[in-house]
Amino acid sequence: MPSHDAVVVGGGLSGLTAGLALAESGADVALLAKGMAASHWVHGGIDIADSGQASSSAAAAAALASLPGHPYAVLADDLPAAVAEALRRLADAGLPYRGGLDAPLEWIPTAIGGLRRAAILPDGQATVLDPWEADEGLLLVGVERYRDFWAGYAARNLAAAEWPGGPARVHAAVVELPGLARLRNLTPLVIARLFDDPVWRRSAWPLIRQAVPAGRWRIGVPAVLGLDRHAEVLAEAVRELGPVFEMPSLPPSVPGIRLHDALRRRFEASGGRLEIGFGVTGVERSAGAVAALETAAAGRPRRVAAGVFVLATGGLAGGGLRGLPGGKLEETVFGLPVSSPSADRWFSGEPLGDGVELERAGIRVNADLRPLDTAGRVVLDNVLVVGSELSGMRYLSERCGDGVALASGHRAGRLIGVGQRATATTTTTTTTRRTAS
Amino acid sequence: MTFTDAADRHYPAFSTDACIKCNVCNTVCPVARVTDLFPGPKYVGPQAQRFREAPRSADHSVDLCSGCGFCTRACPQGVRIAETNSRARAEMVEERGSSLRNRVIADTDLLIRLGVPFAPLANFALRSRILRWIGERVVGVHRSAALHPFARRTFQAAVARRRVSDDRGPDRTLIYFHGCAVNGFETSLGRDAISVLERNGFSVIVPPQSCCALPMISNGLYPQARAKARRNLTVLGDYARRGYRIVTTSTSCGYTLKAEYAEMLDLDDPDARAVARQTWDICELLGDLHERSKLDTRLAPLDRELPYHPPCQLKAHGIGTPAMDLFALIPGLRAWNSEHDCCGAAGTYGLKRERWQIAQDVGRGLFARLRERPAPDMACDSETCRWQITASTSIPARHPVEYIAESYRRWDAAHIGEVARAEAGTQLGAT
Repeated sequence: MPSHDAVVVGGGLSGLTAGLALAESGADVALLAKGMAASHWVHGGIDIADSGQASSSAAAAAALASLPGHPYAVLADDLPAAVAEALRRLADAGLPYRGGLDAPLEWIPTAIGGLRRAAILPDGQATVLDPWEADEGLLLVGVERYRDFWAGYAARNLAAAEWPGGPARVHAAVVELPGLARLRNLTPLVIARLFDDPVWRRSAWPLIRQAVPAGRWRIGVPAVLGLDRHAEVLAEAVRELGPVFEMPSLPPSVPGIRLHDALRRRFEASGGRLEIGFGVTGVERSAGAVAALETAAAGRPRRVAAGVFVLATGGLAGGGLRGLPGGKLEETVFGLPVSSPSADRWFSGEPLGDGVELERAGIRVNADLRPLDTAGRVVLDNVLVVGSELSGMRYLSERCGDGVALASGHRAGRLIGVGQRATATTTTTTTTRRTAS
Repeated sequence: MTFTDAADRHYPAFSTDACIKCNVCNTVCPVARVTDLFPGPKYVGPQAQRFREAPRSADHSVDLCSGCGFCTRACPQGVRIAETNSRARAEMVEERGSSLRNRVIADTDLLIRLGVPFAPLANFALRSRILRWIGERVVGVHRSAALHPFARRTFQAAVARRRVSDDRGPDRTLIYFHGCAVNGFETSLGRDAISVLERNGFSVIVPPQSCCALPMISNGLYPQARAKARRNLTVLGDYARRGYRIVTTSTSCGYTLKAEYAEMLDLDDPDARAVARQTWDICELLGDLHERSKLDTRLAPLDRELPYHPPCQLKAHGIGTPAMDLFALIPGLRAWNSEHDCCGAAGTYGLKRERWQIAQDVGRGLFARLRERPAPDMACDSETCRWQITASTSIPARHPVEYIAESYRRWDAAHIGEVARAEAGTQLGAT
């Protein structure tokens, strides 16, 4: 029956940010997650907001903050400190990022030859943000037999795309890297681990160099430049190849794994406890608050008590919300009231355009991140909600998921003082368990 | 997600429909990390499962799964990947049969029955390079694989009298499931465990018991495993249903009792459910005592560094790392977590001639870390991990509870006069 100052449920960017803020402030904090979060799927950059027109993330976030019910309407004040804190932590962890809230949003190429705007990227990707010189071309270098990065296809699409301020020419090449012909399972992780090996990569650089035509090129490669020794691999890549940047592709995302690992290592080094693999199966309540959670440990549920709980379960995509028959949504840990458009409007809108209405579903909170019911009353005093579980945003089209995660995680850490140690309550408590439906 | 909630825990393969092919499981797999022979949990689990009709064994590379369970715990969708793989291997073994080697190394009770009475001879054979070389050629057990010397007498024989020792009811009596490691190889761990539990006010009963059956489960020998499990359930179930707690010093035996009898072997009667509910890992139990301020914390200092490796099977319990919490109670003891996924042993996996190198490669990072920060010995909760670590690094490995026992012993030695006086006082008062 462990007892903590705080328990965070969910191990994505928002949960780790909240957990880190708490652990660094000296709180005894445990982070529970039923599995890995979206970090292994995403591109590893940090998207704060983008309307398509705004010049910077700060401007785009300010526009979103004026929308009633948008998380930024509550969190905008925390955004600058949250972003600065996150970039500081990542740099300290050996995974420096470039850019910031006020950096211009630049058009960058994607692995299929599309364009998206970005302002905060890990160093491995950041070279793409530099302005393109008149005589500078983009060379995409694919890897023979690696199936999730087709340099020729991407180059064709980019050559045909309207790329404001983009390079004068785009070229593609495919290289045969040593030893890959023998392998049957060629995931980006396999190649990244090969790059971690200094001996192997010494034989790889000349092969890539040979594929570079005459002239001045900036080289885009799949995001496989090392995993555990990425910084070292990247520095060597720049020495060997000149300006080079990674382009993330299909999962598993190596830059996403690096981001997750950096935050996770830091969380644990700060004294935080992390347990991945066991979902919450029960909640013990006591007088308008949560006393403890039960997790799906082997044999019997495990009771984890805390003074305060942070819900960072990631909305519909993360499993923090789920749909029930009859057009209802359920919050999966505490059964909190879900703010949602009516079911007949869930799927109105363009999924890959401005997004569908259902994306706005989530938990409505006050400025203290406490969950509210439809009448605006706080439902549970010692529960804070962060990240994509919050209602009122469409994080795919608004590109605000990472920014909301950082700002809300930061605020949760700020709001929860040290010393909210759980008091052993033996008063009337009720435990509700989720049963298999 | 709804699908896995709906999926019956006894049919882990049902959960594979919830797979969204995101590849997270492949990123955490220690075996896929080191060998291209294993395509990873996603491919042999949810992907191959769709083809397991008739014949059931569509993909034989599933046999390279070491059963560590990292995939299951990483899956965002709740797919029981490792469990699906274990069952798929059992179906493959049912269809294609099993090697004599696998049937022998999985039958630990038999090995102990043969090895212990002839321990000097057997241990000579284990140390003999020529005999080990022959063993590799003929039997298929790698010549460098970690094999622990046999004890001179089984733990069962040594503690036979405890089977009927003073039963003080379910609250103050614990049922010790020592497992094969203590029974045939590391009997002193069993004695230490009992002394630590007794010091905290419990009576300890050691009932007759069989191997928990995990080696059989992980070699796909389910019918044989079920027979072992049923024998254990008959004995342990009776205690568990009456509210006694069962304590283990092996996280792998403990996890088998807690989860695998039901999830792998379909044993789901009142005995099996009671045993699952009442089984505690010894560090989990001591940690729980401490949380409730009932642990005897009169612990003498052990001024030293202590590397600690949490085994995969411990992680499967979902109880955190209670050993680290206990180490923090011993003054001067500076324990540090290896933060490496897996030592590679995975029970009998690393013994096999064709798997030994894979097991070494899986554990390499751990071995390097242990060599970088040398310590007189290290701690780990599972026996085959300890043996693998010692065989690969020459660093002796002990169970966490052995450090607790040592700290208690030192406290007693330092306070011997005090304790004697207190006891004398009590006796005087009583008379």
